[in-house]
Amino acid sequence: MKKLRVLLVDDEIIIREGFKHLFDWEAHDCEVVGEAADGMEALAQIDVLRPDLVIMDINIPIMSGLKVIQLSRIKHPQIAYVIVSGYDDFSYCQQALRLQITDYILKPVNYEEFGTCIDNLKISLFEQRVSSAEEPTVQEERVITGITRYLQAHLAEEVSLAVLAEEFHLNPQYISQLFKSEIGVGFLAYLTNIRMEKAKKLLVSTSLSVAEIAQQAGYGDYRVFSKVFKKTEGITPSQYRREFFEGAEQNGGST
Amino acid sequence: MLRMEIALFLILAFVAVVYFSAGRKHTTLHKTFSLLLIAMLVHLAFDGATIYTVNHLDTVPLVWNDLLHRFFIGTMVLIVYLFYQYIAILVEEETGKPRRLDLAAKIYLAAAELGAMLLPVHYAVTEQGNYSDGIHASLCYVSVAFYLLLCAGLLLRNWAQIHRKKKFSIGAALVIEIFGAILQGLHHTWLISGMGLTLMTLAFYLTLENPDILRAELTEQKMSMLYLKSQVNPHFLYNTLDTIRIQAQLNDDKPVADLLMRLVDFFRLSVKVDRQMVALDDELELLEAYMELMCYRYPELVCSYDIDPNLGGVLVPNFILQPIVENSLLHGLKNKGYRGQVQITAQKSNRHKNRMEIQVIDTGSGFAEGTKEAIDQMLLHYARQAPKLEGNSIGILNVQKRIKLLCGRDCGLWYTENPAGGVTAHLLLPLNEEEGT
Repeated sequence: MKKLRVLLVDDEIIIREGFKHLFDWEAHDCEVVGEAADGMEALAQIDVLRPDLVIMDINIPIMSGLKVIQLSRIKHPQIAYVIVSGYDDFSYCQQALRLQITDYILKPVNYEEFGTCIDNLKISLFEQRVSSAEEPTVQEERVITGITRYLQAHLAEEVSLAVLAEEFHLNPQYISQLFKSEIGVGFLAYLTNIRMEKAKKLLVSTSLSVAEIAQQAGYGDYRVFSKVFKKTEGITPSQYRREFFEGAEQNGGST
Repeated sequence: MLRMEIALFLILAFVAVVYFSAGRKHTTLHKTFSLLLIAMLVHLAFDGATIYTVNHLDTVPLVWNDLLHRFFIGTMVLIVYLFYQYIAILVEEETGKPRRLDLAAKIYLAAAELGAMLLPVHYAVTEQGNYSDGIHASLCYVSVAFYLLLCAGLLLRNWAQIHRKKKFSIGAALVIEIFGAILQGLHHTWLISGMGLTLMTLAFYLTLENPDILRAELTEQKMSMLYLKSQVNPHFLYNTLDTIRIQAQLNDDKPVADLLMRLVDFFRLSVKVDRQMVALDDELELLEAYMELMCYRYPELVCSYDIDPNLGGVLVPNFILQPIVENSLLHGLKNKGYRGQVQITAQKSNRHKNRMEIQVIDTGSGFAEGTKEAIDQMLLHYARQAPKLEGNSIGILNVQKRIKLLCGRDCGLWYTENPAGGVTAHLLLPLNEEEGT
C-alpha cells in the first residue's frame, strides 16, 4: 500500500489546521499534500497535485464543493472525495451521493473517529482495484481478492478469521496481515464496512424490516446491528431509511 | 343646513374617538392626520355656529358674527394647509424626495391667516339664505385652490412612484374636495364647504388611516423585531463554536475542546426539532450533552443513568427529558448549591402493560410549601391551562401536553416526593418501538 495523498479544501484556515494536526495521518498511511480555500483554488490544486483523496467542504467561496467535484470528475475520475459539511441537510447528501463520493461526514468532525472514514475509503479503493484490474498476478493480491469475494458471498453467516483460515488453508495471523498490507485496514473494520454497505443498500432498495436486514447483513441480534449502524452512520437504520426517502421526496423525486 | 353640520361633527367625532383609541405608530404622517382631525372638529363647530349667526344677522351682534367668520375661515385655511402637509409627507415617504414647497406653503398659510383675521367681512343677504361674500370669503376659495393645486401637482409629478392604493385615495379625496369647492362657488347658499372637507378627511381615514391598517402595521413591526431576534442562524452558532473547539484542540486544550464539542452536540441536537417522535437513545444523547455541560459547570453535581438497554429504540416525544431535568436542577438542586444527584432511569412498567416509565430522581430541596399541590393540579388539568409564554412551569406543562397529545391520555407526567428528600418526576410512555421488532 502506498501512502494516500490528501488535499484539504475548506475556507476556514482553522478547520484546515485542525485536520492537518489533529488527525494522525501518519498512522493511517496518509499524507496531506496541499490545501485550498475556495472552489477555484481547489480545482487548480487538484490538477497540479493529483491527490488520491480530497477532503471537501461544500459551502466554499467562488464555486461550491459539489461543483468542484462535478468538474474535476471529468478530468480525474480516479480521485476519491470525502465531503465534510456543516449543513445538516440530507438534500446535500443526496446530491453528493449522485456524485459518487466516498463518504459524507458532518461537522463537528471528531478526529478520533475520522479514522473509520479513511478505512472506508481504503476499502472502496481496494474494491475499485479489484473490479478494474484483470486477474491479479501477484500471489497476495490473488489471495485477498479471493477472501473478500468469499466474505461478500457469506455476509449473512458467522465469519471470523478462524473460519477464513479453515476455508483458505491459511494461518489466521497471515490473513490478518494480508488485510493490513493489501487493503490497509484490519479484518474487523473491513467486515463491518461491507456489512454496513450491504445494510444501507437493502435499507433504501428493499422494504425488508430492519430485523431482516440485520440478519442479511450478518447480525443475529438486530439491536447490536442498530448500535453498530448508529456508530458508523450517525443515525439509526430506520432514520437512515426515512431520511433517504424524505430527501427523495423533497427533491421532487428527481433522478 | 345646521343639521348637516351637526351630523358631520358627530361622524367625525366618532371617527376621532376610534382613531385616537387605536394603537398606532407616532410617525409625522399619523401626527399630521391627528391634527387634521382636531382642526376639522373645531372647524365644523365654527361652521355650524356661523351658519346659525349669518342667518340671524338681526339678532346676533355683528362683532360676534365677524369673529366667528374669521375663525371659520381661519380654521378652513389651516385644514387645507394640513391636507397639503399630509399629502406632501405621504409623497415624500413614498418617493424619498424632499418636500420643496413647504416654505411657500407655510408663508402662504401665515399670510392667509393674517387675512382671515384682518380683512373686512361682508354679508350677502338673499331669499334662499345669507352668506358671507366679498374679499374675506374669497380668501377661502383662493386658499383651497392654492393648496389643492399644490397637492395635485405633487400627486401628478410623482404618480408613477406612489403606491397604487395611496395615489388613488389621494386622488379621490382631491376630486371630492374640488367638486365641493366648485359647487360651493356656484351656489353660495348651499354652504357645503364643511361637507367637502369632511368627506376628504373621511376618504383619508377609510383608506390610509384606518385603525385596522395601523394595527396591522404595528403588529407587523413588532413581529419583524421578534423575527429578527430569533434569527441568530443556528448554523452560524455551531460552526463558530466548532472553529473555536478546533483552535482549542490545536492549542492542546483537550478539556475545552471536549466541552465545546458537547455544546455543539447540544445545539445541533436541539435544533433538530422537525420530528415529533424520536428514539429514546436520541433523546438521551441530547440529555447527556446537556448534563455533561452542567456537571462541568457544577462539579458537585452528579448524574447517573440506569437505562434498560432494550428500550433504546422506543419512540418518545421529542425534547421531553431535558426540560424535566432542567426543572429538577433549577428548582431542586440549585437551592442546594448544585450539590447533589440526578438519576435518570428507564424501565418497562410493572403496573401498566406495554408501557415504560422514565424517572428523573433528584436529591434537591424538594417542593416548597404548597407547590406540590399547585403542580399536581396544573398537570392534572393540563388541557385547561391557558398557553403561557413564560414562567417556571412552562417547560413541564409543555411536556405534559405533548405526551398526552402524541401518546394518549393514559400516558403522562407526574411528580412524587422522595422519602429522603428531593422529588421524582415520572413519565409514563408507550412501548412503541421503531420498525424492525
